[in-house]
Amino acid sequence: MSTTPTGLSGRRRRRVRRWLAVVLLLAALAASATAEAQRQWVVAFANVTEEPGVTVEGTGFTGAEIRESFKLAARQFPIDLVLYDNQRNDAKAVANAEAAIGRKVDLYIAYHRGPAANATIAQKLKAAGIPVLAINEPVPGAPLYTLDNAAAGRLAGEALAQFAGRTWANQPTVAVVIGRIAAASERVPERVQGVTDALRARLPAARLTTLDTQGNPAQVTSLLGAFLAAQPGKKVLVAATDDATALAAKSAIESAGRTRDAVIVGQGVDRNIHGGANDRKELDPSNRGSIVLGSVAFYLDRMGYEVLPLAVKVLRGEPVPPRTVTPHKLVTAANVFVEYPPSDMN
Amino acid sequence: MVRTALVAIGVLLVVLSLGSPAFAQSDCSKIVPASPWGPNDQTGATNRVTAAVTKAAAAEIQTGKVITMSYPLVDGVPLFGSRFTKTILTATSLAPGASYGENELTYMEDTWLSQSHVGTHLDGMGHIGRKDCYYNQTPMGKFINQNNMTKLGLEHLKSFATRGVVIDAVKVFQAANKFKGNSACKKPCLEKGTVITKADLEAGLKMYNVTLREGDIVVIHTGWGDLFEQFPAQNAVYNSGAPGIGKEAATWLASQKVVAVGVDTWVVEVIPGENPKEAFAVHNILITDNGIHIIENVRTDLIAAEAASSKRATFFVNMTVPKAVGLTGNFVAIDGIQ
Repeated sequence: MSTTPTGLSGRRRRRVRRWLAVVLLLAALAASATAEAQRQWVVAFANVTEEPGVTVEGTGFTGAEIRESFKLAARQFPIDLVLYDNQRNDAKAVANAEAAIGRKVDLYIAYHRGPAANATIAQKLKAAGIPVLAINEPVPGAPLYTLDNAAAGRLAGEALAQFAGRTWANQPTVAVVIGRIAAASERVPERVQGVTDALRARLPAARLTTLDTQGNPAQVTSLLGAFLAAQPGKKVLVAATDDATALAAKSAIESAGRTRDAVIVGQGVDRNIHGGANDRKELDPSNRGSIVLGSVAFYLDRMGYEVLPLAVKVLRGEPVPPRTVTPHKLVTAANVFVEYPPSDMN
Repeated sequence: MVRTALVAIGVLLVVLSLGSPAFAQSDCSKIVPASPWGPNDQTGATNRVTAAVTKAAAAEIQTGKVITMSYPLVDGVPLFGSRFTKTILTATSLAPGASYGENELTYMEDTWLSQSHVGTHLDGMGHIGRKDCYYNQTPMGKFINQNNMTKLGLEHLKSFATRGVVIDAVKVFQAANKFKGNSACKKPCLEKGTVITKADLEAGLKMYNVTLREGDIVVIHTGWGDLFEQFPAQNAVYNSGAPGIGKEAATWLASQKVVAVGVDTWVVEVIPGENPKEAFAVHNILITDNGIHIIENVRTDLIAAEAASSKRATFFVNMTVPKAVGLTGNFVAIDGIQ
């Protein structure tokens, strides 16, 4: 049972080697975990358009506001953003994806309307091993973050119906949807359908009319003015497809002297209709008597805050639902400062 | 009969009490933490400025050099919407024949119309709350009238004779190679929306080998004040946002038991904020939850430059805060003495 000094030394050496191996393994794991924790991802965001003044998705929001939301949201994540402008152009969208592949980005966020271009983008990025997130327009094989125009429309319709039921019960009531009714490329018809579904479900007796301004708010006065003139003695529910139209509708109703007969709900909650503590915009806590009951929030100016957490999940290899929708909400004078806290009162 | 009457009175009292304002108010003990200085505390963090703290701070005066840290009070500086300042000079005795006595004494006075949170100013304990709950679980609805607050006013504050520590966030971001500026600034300034983190604050302290201690006033130089100095040309840019500390940094500063946090912006915290659905969350952390003052529109460039040249980021704070009864804040004059 005795052990020679040499044998003892050999066993010790083996033990020391084993411990060293364990220590090295632990150190490697710790280093790897640290590297992962400090990993800075490069994420490309190819915006639909950044053309000044051009609004998107049939709302009052611009591409610049969307881009800004990504930049602000990225502050919370270990992400370096690479920004592209697809310029609403298929060739440019594909070229941007190729440029991102050249830069070896870790993830590509594609916001482009164009199924053929999106298919090409998907193909190229897949070949490069770069995961994709799609915004508002499917990209084959990519999780989609999207507005839900039908749901937004239903919220507007329900708000109008609720008001009518509460305030104008048993009074003859008609409804009108006004705005860019036929703008299919921006899915406004889905919004109109949502309004229609909600109103028909809750106010089946109310006749519903659509008035297409073709995107020109200046048309609202004449279209709505004529409609109001043809509906004497009736209460009028107005669903505007965007906020600029909602404000123009208010003006038209005032001009027609029908403010006691009409209420409006808009779509978007862009800066046309709400502002800071001192802006005194239409949706304001101090303006609760407005005939503009509210507007359905699209949060395009917060899209980055919704999309980048999904991007981080993808990058971490965590599961992401195939479709995530914007949490639309009716914003009124009562909750506008909760949804959009002012930053001009400090 | 008597029992019926008693029951009726009891029911009436219950109904009346349910309708009283007290029931309309929030349970502030669930919304705001209690002050470490007891339920009657209306002072907040200046409780930390003890004689020992002031004595230790006095050791910072080594050369006697005085550095201005406040901007002149003048009409036209950046203000928001309904805020205003207006000075009106009364100089009637300068009119011919309007002087007094054989010695022909003349005099002048001013009327200074202004809201309290303008220029270099201090936010008091009554400035920011959560719902109707303010510092030290104060249900503020019970303590306001049409003129002022009857609790948490500036008259309750103690001394600010303590040590100041300047953190040069511009240098921190430059050193970390992550500096992004704003082209409207004539001198380097961090871009609005830049979040200054706890790690950034620690890096700024490390630059000058400083460790925060209880009772300090921390002053952060972001460079954004350069836009204030350009008034009125850059007022809109100045008000459009700000670089500033985030919630993590604010919580850390609170844990360091500082008395006040001053900065060369209108807001101390980063704007746009970290969470777009939260309003001025750092104000809540510092003032409402911890009784720590915020000092806004501090002139920081001179003290930051002095720190760079003297290699010393600490100084004695000479700041006066009027005992303005029932006010939520007031203009302050600040000198840093090294």
